[in-house]
Amino acid sequence: MLRTQNRSAIGMLAPATGLIGVFVLLPMALTVWLAFQDWSTQTGFETARFIGVDNFLAIFGPGSVGRDFKAALVNTAIYTVLSVLIIVPLSVALGLLVHQKIAPGGIVLRTVLFSTYMVPMIAVALVWSKLYSPTEGPINQMLGWIGIGAQTWLSSPKTALVSLVLLNVWQQVGYFTVLAVAGLTQIPPVLYEAARVDGASAWRQFHAITLPLLGNTLLFSAVIGVINAVQVFEPVALITQGGPVNSTNVLTYHIRRVGIERAQGGLGSAMAVTLMLALIVAITALFAVARSRENRT
Amino acid sequence: MHYVRAIRRLAGVATVLVSGTALTQAAEISFLTHWSPDTVAMLDAAIAKYGETHKDDTITVRAVPFGDLLTTLRTSGGGAGGATIAGIYDAWLPDLAKDKLVAPVPAEMATAVTANWPAGVVSAATAGGSLYGIPNEIDVYALNYNKRLFAAAGITEPPKTWEEFLADAEKLTDKSKGQQGFGLINSWAAGVLHPFASLLVSNGGDLVVDGKPVLDSKQAKETFELYEKLITSGFSDPAMATADANTTGPFLDNFVSGKTGMIIMANWWESALKAGMGDAFADIATAPIPVGPSGDKAHSISYSWMTVVNAQASAEEQAAAWSFLDWLNGPESGPNGASAMGEILMSMGILPSRTSDATAFGDRLSGDAFLAGYTGPLPDAKPFPVVLGGQEFSESLQQTLEALQFGQVTAAEAQTNAQTDAAEILERNAK
Repeated sequence: MLRTQNRSAIGMLAPATGLIGVFVLLPMALTVWLAFQDWSTQTGFETARFIGVDNFLAIFGPGSVGRDFKAALVNTAIYTVLSVLIIVPLSVALGLLVHQKIAPGGIVLRTVLFSTYMVPMIAVALVWSKLYSPTEGPINQMLGWIGIGAQTWLSSPKTALVSLVLLNVWQQVGYFTVLAVAGLTQIPPVLYEAARVDGASAWRQFHAITLPLLGNTLLFSAVIGVINAVQVFEPVALITQGGPVNSTNVLTYHIRRVGIERAQGGLGSAMAVTLMLALIVAITALFAVARSRENRT
Repeated sequence: MHYVRAIRRLAGVATVLVSGTALTQAAEISFLTHWSPDTVAMLDAAIAKYGETHKDDTITVRAVPFGDLLTTLRTSGGGAGGATIAGIYDAWLPDLAKDKLVAPVPAEMATAVTANWPAGVVSAATAGGSLYGIPNEIDVYALNYNKRLFAAAGITEPPKTWEEFLADAEKLTDKSKGQQGFGLINSWAAGVLHPFASLLVSNGGDLVVDGKPVLDSKQAKETFELYEKLITSGFSDPAMATADANTTGPFLDNFVSGKTGMIIMANWWESALKAGMGDAFADIATAPIPVGPSGDKAHSISYSWMTVVNAQASAEEQAAAWSFLDWLNGPESGPNGASAMGEILMSMGILPSRTSDATAFGDRLSGDAFLAGYTGPLPDAKPFPVVLGGQEFSESLQQTLEALQFGQVTAAEAQTNAQTDAAEILERNAK
């Protein structure tokens, strides 16, 4: 009987797990295998030659390959941290604005915020590349009206990456605001009523009720925010091409450049494996922090 | 023995029949290019004309931005959905040939190409002794300058030496108007490299000799120092130099809007200038690259483009592709003995490389003052080095030059970094 049940369970799970195995696990395993090979992406897998950890030594080494990879890794980390640090708190603030019942316009605000998320990145990139134009861009012209000098935006290695972060925030914050609103609706209003009866200030209510009860939503937002940010590609490919001076050369773009343009499949795979490991570490760390905070409370 | 001879004859007849069948079978082929919609429309018109006599073949055009061309070729080139024909930059050829992505030109056509194109251009379409592409355009670099800005600055003629070049750049620089003397480019590998390489060869230097980088030369040192001087003196503003994936962006906007006095750029740039400037294009003139302190005369660099055929395409598709390219680049397809390809290229201000095209378009070339500024320096132009790992070499040198543009390294550091990286990259890729 038990054996029949097992067979039936396996039979029912097989299609889904089989698809996952073929389309997710197999490519991942192949990438890991290729990371230890010398292989051109233009040739068959049979031409791959095992070279041990040479690809990893190269991408962390002092040569041009290592220098460019490490710079891309740092750029990706900065982009990710800045994006999440800005988007998550901003989405909570905007979520509170949308969720409140005191002033009208919450639904309109939510629609406007979410609309940026629905615009295709190609359109966003084209428009923002013109908005950021240092000499003729509307943003610098508007800053000039209030006495602020022209900013370099995408035209300087000091500001280009941050400019892309701002673009990302503009596009993504609406989506995260919707997540925050969904979290806020789950908090029982009775808790706020009790707090008000006890004389708690608005800040105290936010700190003692809203923030702790939004914990799971914030964790989910942070995880999705990290994954989205690490995968940034379109604005770099469409606007900056990784420049100037590689200041916006993030890992996904760099892996494409190495693995596809230069056909260095082994090196590209080693970079992709490193990115995957870094992502796993980052997400695990986020869960660990969340769990330790949960344990303390 | 008699039977063996008979079998051989039969096999020979079968081969001819099979190849003949392949040549006459209908084929669906595609043409990958980075040309703009207007130019693609001209190619479509040529395809329609070709279709009048080749009704069985279907040719479709796929256009992508220049920045995506190599990636598209790399990602789809080896598959069944890959383009049958692609226009490529000569620097990419050694790597594409090494990976067997491109098919050698059939022997008969190769002979015709060798007879009808200049030897240097044929050489750039050759890798490992085999001809892989039919050359079409040739590009050369020259100084572009704005006559209106020159007149306003009291400059009567374009600079002939680096000394005059720096003096003019200083006169043209006016920060109160947001105006720079000389426009550099960043965020686009060829856009960064080619002007630097043009100044280097005009100073008697080279990027690569016999497959080895020679960026440690005195001539290269002086060229890096020239860049440093342009930046530290404020004659070039790197914030005005950014390019995007379509090789446009602020650097083009600034020259078009009269905020950049001089720039070093190739002849294909004419169509972009005309589109951006309208009547003000009359303000733009060309001149040879100024000669550096170690140079003997004005030199420039050149590079060429070619059309290649996908080695993974079927025999029928390859045969149809070569047949179309033979016609497209031949003297029967265009007006007055010119090729249809030559006509397409001339519409963009690009110099066709076929010898008969240069003759057919002789009047137009000499009558176009902008293009005449490019045909003059062409005989003294040095081809941009075509080596394995050329793309990686270009991107590495681009990064070093951009670091110099933004003051992250000195000229001496840039020269050391450039030579070290180039030596490592070229050696690794040559293995």
